[in-house]
Amino acid sequence: MTIEFTVTTRDTASGPVLELSGELDAATAPDALEAIRLLAPSAGQQLLVDLSGLEFCDSSGVSALIAARNVAVAAGAAIALAAVPGHLARTLGLIGLAELFKSYPTTEDARKAWGSSASGP
Amino acid sequence: MMGETGDAGGGSAGEHPEALAASFSALLEDSAEDLYEHAPCGYLSTLMDGTIAKVNTTLLGWLGYRREELVGRRRFTDLLTVGGRLYHETHFAPSLRMHGEFGGIALELKGADGTRLPVLVTSTVKTGSGGEGQLIRTTVFDARDRRAYEQELLRARQEAECERDRVHRLATTLQRTLLPPVLPAVPGMDVAAYYHPASADEVGGDFYDLFPLTGDTWGFFLGDVSGKGAEAAAVTSLARYTLRAAAVYDPDPVTVLGNLNTVLNHEYHSTDPRYCTVVHGLLVPDAGGATVTLAGGGHPPALLIRHDGAAELLDTPGGQLVGALPDARFAAVRRHLGPGDTLVLYSDGLTEARTRGRVRYSEEQLRDFASTLAPATATTVVAAISDLLAGFADGVDDDTALLALSIPHTGDEEQ
Repeated sequence: MTIEFTVTTRDTASGPVLELSGELDAATAPDALEAIRLLAPSAGQQLLVDLSGLEFCDSSGVSALIAARNVAVAAGAAIALAAVPGHLARTLGLIGLAELFKSYPTTEDARKAWGSSASGP
Repeated sequence: MMGETGDAGGGSAGEHPEALAASFSALLEDSAEDLYEHAPCGYLSTLMDGTIAKVNTTLLGWLGYRREELVGRRRFTDLLTVGGRLYHETHFAPSLRMHGEFGGIALELKGADGTRLPVLVTSTVKTGSGGEGQLIRTTVFDARDRRAYEQELLRARQEAECERDRVHRLATTLQRTLLPPVLPAVPGMDVAAYYHPASADEVGGDFYDLFPLTGDTWGFFLGDVSGKGAEAAAVTSLARYTLRAAAVYDPDPVTVLGNLNTVLNHEYHSTDPRYCTVVHGLLVPDAGGATVTLAGGGHPPALLIRHDGAAELLDTPGGQLVGALPDARFAAVRRHLGPGDTLVLYSDGLTEARTRGRVRYSEEQLRDFASTLAPATATTVVAAISDLLAGFADGVDDDTALLALSIPHTGDEEQ
């Protein structure tokens, strides 16, 4: 019944990518926070959170996203979400946080948007 | 005699072959009778009716009887406690008759002075050439060590259970301090609340309160802290007392949430953010009922049930989570409550509840359900919604809190 939670990180030219998949709740959020603490985006980079495999996200999961945003803001980096599941998009809207996270359908869209804005004026 | 052979065999035997030979010889001369009498266990033989026919010295010593007090005069069951006798009659004896042996049974024997000796008993039936039972042979092992060990285990378990109860009581007590035990009586209004913890073990993160402000105005709030357990409870406590203090200072609900946001954001930030969702309200009574102003911070919309059953979700668009951002925005909504109108605040344990399978119970479903409750009062609405939650059974996996306020019917509004 429970889908196993996994968290992975990888570095790309545009900045770190954090991939959260499975069920992100009070039981698994500490693992996500652990990975988020180790993220080191540089100023001017974009921290991208890939949610394409996310099956469930409760308030602890929202905390993890806020923590990721705090890490990005503190480093002078931007934050974006890719493939936000419908239920999470709805929650982010309800709690007034949708505007804090740039959101893209896929990580590829996020990368392209970042590339065009970074090479812009 | 055994002592003597033991002494002879100790240490020097290898140097003195003749001494070793002497000790073996002593062993061989150990009589069966002596082994019977002084064996490290009790022996008892009874006739088929239980009358004691033979008993060894070891058992007599344990029980403090003289041989002539038992042999031919007492039955084996006379040596048992009342409970043991009952067990003997209902289990031991029938089983022995059926199988010819029965063993490893824990019983208590009564000594001559009334002391009780825990023992393990095994019996076999000696049969004659025709297969008929002649006598019952019984061995009795001293089980005091084993009993002591069992009692030690039992004591340790009781201690652990006691400790667990103590921790549970502490959690329950602390949780009680996070909720108002009873709502104050508000003149001219009916008020009711409900709290459903998702788990008896976890300190929940839902909170609510209703309290007087200046004049005849009242403040109230209901909120939900992210996460669970003791850390969430600490935030709950901070949120609750900050809201009350902020409302006394400036009762405007948007300002109150702004103050709570500043406090939480300063207290918890960076990589372990703690936040809450809250609806905070100000109630100002007037001749026709009361005006409520609600400010929402990321919380599901409050529910307004009019006297005629019209139900409305009171959105506060753009209201953000409280504590997550340094300069969060909050929005307010204002409504007038007339006779028969009921305002309900609830936590998302209700609207996140799974009805069947994994389908959420939505705010819209709640609104539709609420409209069937008119004519309602705070008390009947809280009762109806808590019944609804009970129907979800294990579908409610979060704490759930309800707070309702209503203006009593005057009778006029129904005409």
